[in-house]
Order: sequence, then C-alpha cells, then structure tokens
Amino acid sequence: MQTETSHHHEITRLCIQCAIFLLQHGAESALVEELATRLGKALGMDSIEISISANSIVLSAIKNNHCITTTRKNNDHGINMHMVTEVQHIVIMAEHKLLDHKDVLKRFSHLKPLRYPRWLMVLIVGLSCASFCKLNAGGWDGALVTFIASAVAMYVRLLLTQRRLHPQITFAITAFIATSVSGLLIGKGIFTNTSTIAIASSVLLLVPGFPLINAVADMFKGHVNTGLARWTMASLLTLATCIGIVTALSLWGLNGWQ
Amino acid sequence: MAIIEFILALIQDMVLAAIPALGFAMVFNVPARALPYCALLGAIGHGSRMILLKLGLSIETGTFLSAILVGVIGIQWSRWYLAHPKIFTVAAVIPMFPGIYAYTSMISIVKLSQSGYSEPLFIEAVMNFLKASYIVGALSIGLSLPALWLYRKRPRV
Repeated sequence: MQTETSHHHEITRLCIQCAIFLLQHGAESALVEELATRLGKALGMDSIEISISANSIVLSAIKNNHCITTTRKNNDHGINMHMVTEVQHIVIMAEHKLLDHKDVLKRFSHLKPLRYPRWLMVLIVGLSCASFCKLNAGGWDGALVTFIASAVAMYVRLLLTQRRLHPQITFAITAFIATSVSGLLIGKGIFTNTSTIAIASSVLLLVPGFPLINAVADMFKGHVNTGLARWTMASLLTLATCIGIVTALSLWGLNGWQ
Repeated sequence: MAIIEFILALIQDMVLAAIPALGFAMVFNVPARALPYCALLGAIGHGSRMILLKLGLSIETGTFLSAILVGVIGIQWSRWYLAHPKIFTVAAVIPMFPGIYAYTSMISIVKLSQSGYSEPLFIEAVMNFLKASYIVGALSIGLSLPALWLYRKRPRV
C-alpha cells in the first residue's frame, strides 16, 4: 500500500512537471493537456484531469478511484520549441514502454533549453527585418537601414532579456532604440530618400506572433481562459512597443510612416 | 513575357520570405535539424499567398488558404519528425503576419489620446485593427483546421 501511494505520487509529479515544462516554453493549451494525459496513461494511471490557467496548473492523477491533486505556479521562460520537442519525445518513448517513470524523471532533470549564440541571433533577426522591409516595397536601401536598426535593437533586447527585465519595459526600450536608429538614419542621416516603411520594419522583431497565434488557437479549441490571457498579454506587449515608437518619433521630431 | 516577370517576382518573394521564417524559427529556438524545413515552409506559404492575391482574392482569404496549406504540409512533416506541427508551422507563417497593420492601429490609438479625437485617426485605428485581427485569426485557425478535421480521433504524432 505504502509503495503504491508513493508510486502514485511520483507519477503525479512527473505529469505536472511535463505540463509545466510545456506551458513555460510556449506550447498551446491543447498540447499541454494532451501530453500530460498521455504521459500519465503511459505510466499506468487511469485518467489525468488538468486545469490550465494563465499562471498555474492544477492536475489530478486518478488510479483505482484514488486521486492525487497538485498545483504548480507557471513562470514564463520564453518560447522554446526545442524544449517542447524534447518533452514530446520523452512522452512518446514512455508510451512505447521504452522508459519507465524513473527514466522519465532522469530525462526531465537533464533537460536544458537550447539557446542559439547571441551574434547569430542578432545577424539573422537583422536579415529577417530587412527582408520584411523589402517584402513591403521598402527598397534595398530601406532594407539596409532596417538591417542596421533591427540588429542593434535585437542586441539590446537580448541583453535586457538576460537581465530578466520586465517584458513590457524591454519591449518599450527595444522599440525606442529601433525607431531612433532607423528614424535618425532616414530623417537626419544619409538615407534621406529612403522609404519610411523601413522604420516600421525595423520594429517588426517585436511582434508577438507566437502568443497571438497560440491565443486564437486556444480559444478556437475551447481554452477560452488561457486564450484571452495570451491575447491580452500580446496586446500589452504591442502597446508597450508602440509607446516606445511614439516616444522616439516625437522626441526626434519624425513623422512616422505612411 | 509577363509570366516570366511574375515567376521572377515570385522567386524573389519566396526567398525573401524564407529568411524571416528561418530567423523567427531561431528566435523560437526550433531545433537546428528542423530549421531548413521552417524556411522552406515559409517560402511555400508566402509564395502561395502571392499567387492567390494575384488571382484576385482578398488578403484575409488568401492568408487563410495559405495557412491551411502550411498546416497540411506541417502535419505531414511532423509525422517523421515526431513533434508537434506547430514547430514548423508557426515560424513559417510569421512572414505573413500583419505586423505593420497592428503597429499602425496601435500607434493611431496612442495618437488619439495624445492629440484628441479626429476622424481620420479613428478610421485608421479601427480599419488597421480589424485587418490585423482578421489576418491573425485566419493564420491561426488555418493552421489548426487541418489537424482538427483530418485527424479528429487519433493523436497527430
């Protein structure tokens, strides 16, 4: 009896660890629910009931009419698809009986989020925003301005994120810097004939694309709670970005884009 | 001649769309092995939308159909990669994301509160907000639909 209860406890902990890993790294609610349930069933539970809200998860594991419930707080660790993939692989292996609960625990404790090197991120995000500028008919000179501005902004953003500054403040500061660099290059600098679409493109690195897509997907699949929370969070981040842009535009006396 | 010009423009469009798809895939920390597929899928998505827009569809409908295409391909690829399709598909639709509409709308709202009510500003805020919301909805629902409707019963992976 004693060992069975402790076994039940352990599996409950593993399931909620799986759910919290997924939620922290930006998986949609349907996936969090699906994978936690599948892991629990693979490890011998009868059913897993889970309630997801924006900053916590409550999970019950039920076996032979015994039920253990536990709660974990969720703090956002940033979007990391590598972690989501790894957790999913562990769940699939557990389902095929390749891992028992001890192996799952060991694998979970060894999971480490993948981070690409900073210089590479700065380079590729600069190129991405430059492509956005060209796609929006900003011309090659506009793309160059966008590349410079968004690379500088991305560097600042990574520095601020590393210091764990509040996300909205990070977004506002980053937007201010991107707008200042691109706006000053166009308005006061050497690129006087460049399309102003370059200013807009240089802040596109801050668009909360993943949260917005997750928000609609959540609401569409019936998780209205988390969907609304994600939508609100993404709107607040966009608002913070826009305050950064407007501050920069009015400080330097620029006109914005048409 | 017009056909060749269009094909050249399409190729340029697809190459330019592949770069942000790759870039944002790296921002989302997609595993390195899946990165080339994100770039390819981004190019396919944006290229197909360009063709649909050329055929006279509105930007919302075109985005919706392209997102469905991306979703279907993403599900096929997720089978052999044993991962959720969102790993490929979200980064791939980022080039179609209505970022400039969203910013223009939000900036108009900030300006409305700064300089008082004026009709052109309000129209700009509302129209851009609607456009941005519809496109985000089209992208997200387009990505989710294939999974919901082709694989209702069994798990995808």
